[in-house]
Amino acid sequence: MASEPLLELDSVEAGYGRAALVLRGLTVRVPPATIVCLVGPNGAGKSTALKVASGLLKPRSGRIRVNGRDVTGEGPRRMLATHGVAHVLQGHSVFPEMTVAENVAAGAYTVRDKAFVARRTDFVKELFPVVAERWKSLAGLLSGGQQKQVEFARSLMVDPSVVLLDEPSMGLDPKTAGTVFDQVVRMRDAGTAVLLVEQNARRALEIADIGCVLDLGKVHIEGPAGDLLANPDLADLYLGGSARAY
Amino acid sequence: MLTFQSVILGVLLGGLYALLAAGLTLYFGVMRVVMIAHSAFLILAAYLAWYFHRETGIDPLVSLVGTVPLFFVLGVAMQRLLISRLRAATLTMMSVLLTFAIALLIEGLLGYVFSGTQRRTQLSYSGTSLDFFGARVAVVKLIAFGLAAAALLGLYVLLKASRFGLALRATIQHREAAQLAGIDTNRVAGYGFGLGLATAAIGGTALALDTTIYPSLHWHWIGPLMAIIVVGGLGSVPGAAIAAMLLGLTQSLLQLPLGTTWAQTVFYVALFATLAFRPQGFFGGRLAQRF
Repeated sequence: MASEPLLELDSVEAGYGRAALVLRGLTVRVPPATIVCLVGPNGAGKSTALKVASGLLKPRSGRIRVNGRDVTGEGPRRMLATHGVAHVLQGHSVFPEMTVAENVAAGAYTVRDKAFVARRTDFVKELFPVVAERWKSLAGLLSGGQQKQVEFARSLMVDPSVVLLDEPSMGLDPKTAGTVFDQVVRMRDAGTAVLLVEQNARRALEIADIGCVLDLGKVHIEGPAGDLLANPDLADLYLGGSARAY
Repeated sequence: MLTFQSVILGVLLGGLYALLAAGLTLYFGVMRVVMIAHSAFLILAAYLAWYFHRETGIDPLVSLVGTVPLFFVLGVAMQRLLISRLRAATLTMMSVLLTFAIALLIEGLLGYVFSGTQRRTQLSYSGTSLDFFGARVAVVKLIAFGLAAAALLGLYVLLKASRFGLALRATIQHREAAQLAGIDTNRVAGYGFGLGLATAAIGGTALALDTTIYPSLHWHWIGPLMAIIVVGGLGSVPGAAIAAMLLGLTQSLLQLPLGTTWAQTVFYVALFATLAFRPQGFFGGRLAQRF
């Protein structure tokens, strides 16, 4: 955690409507070109943390900073276009009745520079070969894993500095999930920081650099992902079984 | 020969249905709003076209220059000031009540201003008809169809080939993902609503060319239009257009053996069949949100 965080959620409290708080003083820091993984039980606030970070949900208190700049309360459009924070939702979120090409183009909706869009299009087609192969297909006709890669490609069109990924392996068979996790690593290697939320905590921690264990809306344990994986108590509590048996 | 004549008339009628149903399905697509007042705005536009012609003597088609922008702005205002204030959880249900009230308001205002008397636009070419392979086709019906077809084509190009169209389709298909792509979905929904109402302005003007109008006429239109968008798949513009053409054609053909009143039931039979066998609609794709 030596480098300055790119994205920082500082003592964030947030919830939906008048319901009780979901996040209760959550602090998470995402350094550049790093995969930070949030793990924890259902209802711990993992997805809510991402919604707050991308501006879909306004926090009730606490601060959100990007590159040290306070961006608390800004909406998704400014978070993406101005601050470079992209968010890939849980489940399927392609535009199903639009082609893959149109989905990717929608990712660059806020960008007016055509040369930049062309460069990014080439970049995402190279990074995700399936996007290039199925360029003219309707996105809704693609398999779950392929749709997820279209969503990744769409989120990278603005050349974001950080991408928030909510359960990217959800609903995918193990082999496809493996491909998706490989793609997450390639995104990181291409210079994008990733804040990753996963039910498949063990697999996610294997590719992550930093792990944070969330419970009841705040971080309980934070450290190098490898250390978390190796900790037998943690494995028993949060990773669905003992590290010794693994 | 009579059958051929019916086919031609059915296609011409279907074109108008297609345009109006496209507008109706747009409201549902962008806002999940059931817009009962759509046909009331249609009749309002028809009255404005008739009144414009009566007062100025200029062709009622020219009134489009005023009514299309006016209805667009009205649509945006309606979405911003009324629809967007409905609670998300009950939006669709409450929109029925709200737009029902607006329909009654428009009908009442039309009756107050223009009385309940039936009105008809008399044009120099009102009685003219063309011979089309033996079928007689009234020129006003052809103009109405041409207007509807041109507007529908314009709508299609706007949705398929413009930046706004991309944003509108994205908003219809996955609102939250559209927000995350940087699309201002509230603004887009407002413009989508305006666009829907603009189709009513065009349709109303087309209607005024060859139909006798009166304030409560909108009740005759809203049922078939609602049936069309359900058969076509709610939120689907091409679905609405295809269903409109097919049902318009069927209605026209059934008028020969059944008469005009019973022929109208084709819409409701199709509605029941859709709800019973394919509730997502017949032409609307898997999510019934196709464009």
